[in-house]
Amino acid sequence: MSGSSRRDFLKIALAGAAGATFAPGAGRAAGKTVTFLHESSFIKTFDEYMQNTLAPAYEKATGVKVVYELTSVGSLPTRISTIAETGSGADVTMIFLLYPFLFADKLMDVGDIAEDIGKQQGGWYDAAKEAGIVNGKWKAIPHSNIGQLMNWRTDWFAEVGVKKFPETWEELYEVGKKLKAKDHPFGFELGHGFGDNHGWLYPLLWSYGGREVEADGKTVVIDSDETARAVDFARKFFKDTMLDDVLGWTDVSNNKAWMAEQISCTNNAESILWFAKRDFPEIGKVTDQAQNPAGPKGRFHLLNCIGHSIFNFSPEKEETHKFLRWLMDEKQLGGWYASADSYYQPFLHAYDNAPMWQVEPRNIPYRDAMASAHLPGWPAPPNRQLAEVVAKYVTVDMFAKACAGAATKDVIKSAEAQLKEIYRAV
Amino acid sequence: MSIRSDPLIGVVRPPHRAASLALWLDRESVFSWLMMTLPLLFLAAFVGYPFVYGILLSLQDRPVAQPGHFVGLKNFIADYHDPIFWRVAINTFVYTAVATLLKMVGGLGLALAMNQHFRMKNLVRAVLLLPFIVPTVLSTVAWMWMLDPAFSVVNRILIGLGWPRPGPSWLGNPILAMCSIIVINTWRGLPFYGITLLAGLQTVPPELYEAATIDGASGWQRFRYVTLPLLQPIILIVTLFSVIFTFADFQLVYVLTHGGPQNATQLFATYAFDIGMGAGQLGLGASVALTMLPALALLIVALTLYLRKQ
Repeated sequence: MSGSSRRDFLKIALAGAAGATFAPGAGRAAGKTVTFLHESSFIKTFDEYMQNTLAPAYEKATGVKVVYELTSVGSLPTRISTIAETGSGADVTMIFLLYPFLFADKLMDVGDIAEDIGKQQGGWYDAAKEAGIVNGKWKAIPHSNIGQLMNWRTDWFAEVGVKKFPETWEELYEVGKKLKAKDHPFGFELGHGFGDNHGWLYPLLWSYGGREVEADGKTVVIDSDETARAVDFARKFFKDTMLDDVLGWTDVSNNKAWMAEQISCTNNAESILWFAKRDFPEIGKVTDQAQNPAGPKGRFHLLNCIGHSIFNFSPEKEETHKFLRWLMDEKQLGGWYASADSYYQPFLHAYDNAPMWQVEPRNIPYRDAMASAHLPGWPAPPNRQLAEVVAKYVTVDMFAKACAGAATKDVIKSAEAQLKEIYRAV
Repeated sequence: MSIRSDPLIGVVRPPHRAASLALWLDRESVFSWLMMTLPLLFLAAFVGYPFVYGILLSLQDRPVAQPGHFVGLKNFIADYHDPIFWRVAINTFVYTAVATLLKMVGGLGLALAMNQHFRMKNLVRAVLLLPFIVPTVLSTVAWMWMLDPAFSVVNRILIGLGWPRPGPSWLGNPILAMCSIIVINTWRGLPFYGITLLAGLQTVPPELYEAATIDGASGWQRFRYVTLPLLQPIILIVTLFSVIFTFADFQLVYVLTHGGPQNATQLFATYAFDIGMGAGQLGLGASVALTMLPALALLIVALTLYLRKQ
């Protein structure tokens, strides 16, 4: 009895193991599944719209199940790396910044969808092409930009007589001096976060005419009078307008400081306004957003494109391709954008005057900022060297060291040495 | 003879196959290897393979999602020319040395205090383990709030005592940031030292203290000549573990400062991760991580030899 039950147990266990091993294959054969990896959105309604509306609608229309798999903020690059390395785990993924360039070999050319969508929906912003086209091929279909803008306290700016956000960095500096004297300092990240540091430092460098590397992708040009002027400006901007603590900030710091009413101006994505309206409505009422100030050589913004890419090793790449085409159709895309108000700024001109912009008119500068947005490291082509420059915080630390007291000449020389070392093999 | 020969024939006749297997398994040399096979396979799969793969990666130019090619020591040479790498090396050694020393001294004090008799001793011992039990990411977030000038309880006290507002920038100043991560690591690692040394203290025979007391030894002398020599092997083992854990620390720095400000708190593990995952340079990242190896290996060998000698 005991022998037979043990044998039964073994049979069940073996059957279970076999089932677990072969079930996904069997599932795919019976009813197809597309696994869609996505970073958990700050805007819950955005994810809910996919889970509760779009995915069921697609399954109803085609019989293909869409598994919308969420991963925590910050963990997406590691997940994509694992999937690309192992060749399994998802069929389509959200992708951003320089990652379409790093993973290009594992991503399917989705140019046919991108070209058709562009024609149907008013054409792409140039920024979308900068972020999605790798060596002439669309490796990601740009979905939207999560731009970085100036966030400012209208009530405190009004206290020093400023009703409209300053047009230039120098004008902003003058306002900042007055506000710091009134105990309302500025707070711009100079530490090692992911985005809020690059979000204002690259545009600052560009607006003074500085560049890290030329468009040829090998000539290091950081050591210039333009860079020196940008560094000198950053030093006085830090010293006379900011909290000392910004040198150690990461990306959550300015959000916390804003809600604690500690700072009067910062550079951030729309999350500050969004959370202020929800959790601190009084602060939300006096929070506004503006495009980055201009420097002597113009006005710039950081491009933080998110898009979607299909893994070329996916066994369901044809199904995934059909799904992505369906998803990017105006009927679906418009609703998905609208579910997050305007947190995600569309790269297609058809949405330039969409009703979503009227839900929160304070977000309109995000739309306008896209015309002057570039990827980190611009005008150098995005590649592995550039990714290393960003990961090593070369430009961020050049500015941060100057703000902490180092000489302009020294910090530029140090950044130049690092860049030359990184680009040495090119 | 025939009566005698039968049983002899029976003895020399080859035993039944199952019985022979059982006998073979009964041999100590076979049985011990059999018992060790599973752990060895486990070690080979989950320790050996990643280790060897890490070494292979460090010798390749291996961008993420692309095939690698052998480049010899080129990655290590690139590390040698990288100024941040040297900053990271110094940071890691300072961080490990100071935090381990603090944990050792503090942990010994903690163990001695916990070895006394007082009310609710067991409850206090359990509570002391909390820093070690709470997930590092969670406790680090709590520290992040405590070190934020706007909310810092430390800064509020300092300001109350007359320090100019907003108080020190714990994570913005490079030296204070390093001090902060050392303090947090010490806070987190202290219970490990404390509890392990406490276990060691409880194995010291009371007769030795009694004898020392009869000989007229003072409290300090009893500690110096009885407690400390007997605890020495345990202190060495705990230190060895602590050095390895501290040297390879990742979570605390990754959550709190991400290596900032200006790489003042960047350690080998966080820097290797940034290069490997952030920049997609798996080979270069592996080479940074592997530079930890010689120092740690030397330490382990030295400590093991010392223990054997003891």
